[in-house]
Amino acid sequence: MQQRTIITIGFVVLFYGAVPAAFGSTDYVISSIVAALTIAGTAVAWALLGNLGGMVSFGHAAFFGVGAYVSALLTMNAGWPVFAAIIAGGAGASIASVAIMPALRLRGPYFALAVLAYAGIFRILATEMEGITRGAAGLLSIPRLPTILGFDLGTNIGSYYVILTIVLAAMAAYAWIRRSEIGFALLAMHETEDATRILGVPSTRLKAMMLVLSAFITGIVGAFNAHHISFLDPDYAFSGVWTVLPIVAAIFGGFRTVSGPFIGALAIYLLDQFVFKSLLPTGHQIILGAALGTMILLSPDGLVPLLGRGLGKKRHAAT
Amino acid sequence: MIAAMRGFAVLATCLVLALGQAKAEDFVLGSHLPLTGSLAQVGNGMHEGIQVAVDLFNRENQGHQVKLNTIDDESSPAKAVAAVERLASERVVALSGGYGSNIIGPASEAAAKAKLVYITSGGVGPELSQRGLEYFFRINNTEGYSKAVTGLIDDMGVKKVSIVYNNKEATTDLARTVEKTLSDAGIKVSSLAFDGGHADFKPLINKVKLQDHPDLILMSGYENDYIGILRAGNVLKPDIKAIVGVWSLATSEMNNKFNDLVQYVYGTSMLPYPAEFATPEAKLFAETYEKLYGKAPDYLGQFGYVQTRLLLQAVLRAENDGTLGKGGLADELRKTDEETLIGRVKFDKNGDNPEFAQRMGQHQGNKVVLVWPAKAATGKMVFPATPWSK
Repeated sequence: MQQRTIITIGFVVLFYGAVPAAFGSTDYVISSIVAALTIAGTAVAWALLGNLGGMVSFGHAAFFGVGAYVSALLTMNAGWPVFAAIIAGGAGASIASVAIMPALRLRGPYFALAVLAYAGIFRILATEMEGITRGAAGLLSIPRLPTILGFDLGTNIGSYYVILTIVLAAMAAYAWIRRSEIGFALLAMHETEDATRILGVPSTRLKAMMLVLSAFITGIVGAFNAHHISFLDPDYAFSGVWTVLPIVAAIFGGFRTVSGPFIGALAIYLLDQFVFKSLLPTGHQIILGAALGTMILLSPDGLVPLLGRGLGKKRHAAT
Repeated sequence: MIAAMRGFAVLATCLVLALGQAKAEDFVLGSHLPLTGSLAQVGNGMHEGIQVAVDLFNRENQGHQVKLNTIDDESSPAKAVAAVERLASERVVALSGGYGSNIIGPASEAAAKAKLVYITSGGVGPELSQRGLEYFFRINNTEGYSKAVTGLIDDMGVKKVSIVYNNKEATTDLARTVEKTLSDAGIKVSSLAFDGGHADFKPLINKVKLQDHPDLILMSGYENDYIGILRAGNVLKPDIKAIVGVWSLATSEMNNKFNDLVQYVYGTSMLPYPAEFATPEAKLFAETYEKLYGKAPDYLGQFGYVQTRLLLQAVLRAENDGTLGKGGLADELRKTDEETLIGRVKFDKNGDNPEFAQRMGQHQGNKVVLVWPAKAATGKMVFPATPWSK
C-alpha cells in the first residue's frame, strides 16, 4: 500500500473516529472544532483560488453570506429540505461569483480591491432587500440539520461529521484539480500568463472556473454555518471575519499545500480558544498575532511545510 | 499529510491540557459578554453590574456563595454558543449576560438546549422573546424605550418629527415603533435610514433641513452616530426645537467627553448625572460599584446588576424550596414581581418584562437632568433648545 494511502486512511480514522470518541461528549469542544472546520472550509476555498487561480481574494465573505442566505431562505420560506438547500446555497454563491468575472482581467491588488467592494455590495443588498431577507433584523431559528436514520445531525457531533465531510471533499477536489491537466495549466499560468495564452491555454476561462468552484465551496460552508448556528443577519453573514480568518489560517498552515489551510484553521482557532484564551482571557489575540508573526519569520510557507521539513531531517538522521 | 497529523497531535495535547482546568464551586453563575471586539465597551459596562450583584449577594448571604464565571464571546455568535456550551458543561446554575441580538439569539437557544435559565438586557428586539423559549428572560425591550421617547415628544407638543436611524436591528425596530406611535397620534413623521459606520452625516442632515423642515429630530443609533449627527447639525444648524436620541447618549461619559456638542440633547436614562440614589438598595449598589471600579455606575451597570440580582434571588428561593436541581429556577424567576433600580420588573409567559419603561434625560451644563416622566424628573426640560441654538 502506498504511503499516501496509509496516511489518508489514518487521517480519516483520526477525524471520523478518534476525535469524536475523545471529545464527542463535550459539547463545547466539538462546537469549537465545528467553528474551526467552518473556517477551514473557507480557507481551503480561498487557497484553491489563490494557488490555482492566482487570485488573492478579500471578498470570500460575499460567497459565504450568499450561500448562507440562499440556504436559510429556501428552508424557511420554500420548505426545502436542509441538505438540498445547502447545495443550492453553494450554487447561489457560484452564480453570485459570475458578477465578479469582469474583474478577472484585473491583477494583484486591483483584483483584491474589486472583490472587497463586491462583498460590501452584497451586505448592503441583504440589509436593503428587507421583504426577502428581513433586513437588519436577520433570520432567527433557521432550521437545523435533519435527523437521518435516527442520527440527529443537528447536534454538535452530527454537525461535526457534516462539516468535516464538506471540508475533506473540498480538499479532495482541490488535490484532484491540482494533479490534473487543468491544474498544470493553471500553475504554468502563475509563471507567465502571456506565454501560456500563446500556447493556447484559455487562462481567463480557467480562472473563471476556479472562481466559481471556490465560491461554490465557500457558499456550501456558509450555508452549513447558517443551519448550525441557526441565525443570520447581514453583518454576521457578510462579516469581514469570513475573509480575514481563512486567509490567516491558510497562511499559518501553508497555503501552497492542500492540508495547510485545514491544519492552519484548526491550529489558530483551537489554540486561540483553548490555550491562549486560558492564559490571557482578554486580549489573547495578541498571542495569536505573535504566533502568526513568528510562523511567517520561521517558515514563510507555513506550519505544514515546517513540520514536513522537521520530519525530513529526522528521517535523514535515522538513515 | 504526516506533517499535518503531527500538527494535530500537538494541538490535541494542548487541548486536553487546557480542558483539565474546570473545578466545582458552591453556586457558579455563568456569563458570556463581549469583553473584546466591536461591542467591548458595552460588554464591559454590563459585566461590571453583574459583578456588583454577585459581590452584594455574597455579602448578604453568608450561607450561599456565588462565583461568577465569565467568558469573553468576542462579539461573535459562534464563540457565544461555544461559551454557553462550555459554561453548561461546567454546571453553572444559570446565565446572566449577552449583548447584541445577533449574539443573544443563538446563545439563548444553546442555553435552552442545555435547559439553563438565560437572563439578559442586551437585546431589545421583539423577536427574541417570541421564540417560545421557556428558559429565556429579559428585563427591557423596545416598547419601554419607545414609550419614553414618544412620551417626551408628546409632552413637547411638536407637530413634525424627522427620524434618522441606523439600519441595525435594534435601532430600526425602535425607529419604526416610534414612527407608528407618533403617526397614530397625528404627528407628521418622516424617516431616513443610514448605514452603520456612516462617517459624514451632513448630506443626511441637509436633506432633513431642506426637505422635511421638522420641529424635532430623533436619532436612533449609537454613540458614534450621535456624535456624527450632532457635528453635522452644528455645521448646518437646522431650525428645530429639540434633538432627541435613545440609548448611550444621556450618559456621564458623553457629558464629560462631548460637553459642548451634547448640550440640551435628550436621551434615555435611568439615572441623572451626577447620580442621585434615593433607596437604600440603590445607595448600596452605587457604593459597591464605586468601591470595585472607582467610578459612578452607568446605565449598563444598572441593567447588569438588576438582571443578575433578580436571577440570584430566584436561585436562592429555588434552592431553599429544593427545586433548583429539578428545573425549578425558570418557574421561580417567572414569579418575580419587584421594584428595582430600573423600575418594576415582572415576566410574562415569554419571559419579557411588560412593565419596562425608560426615562428621558437632558444634558444641561455639566449635568444630565431627568425630565420625563414627571414622577421621576429631577429638573425641568429646557425647551426649545439645541446645541447650536444655545
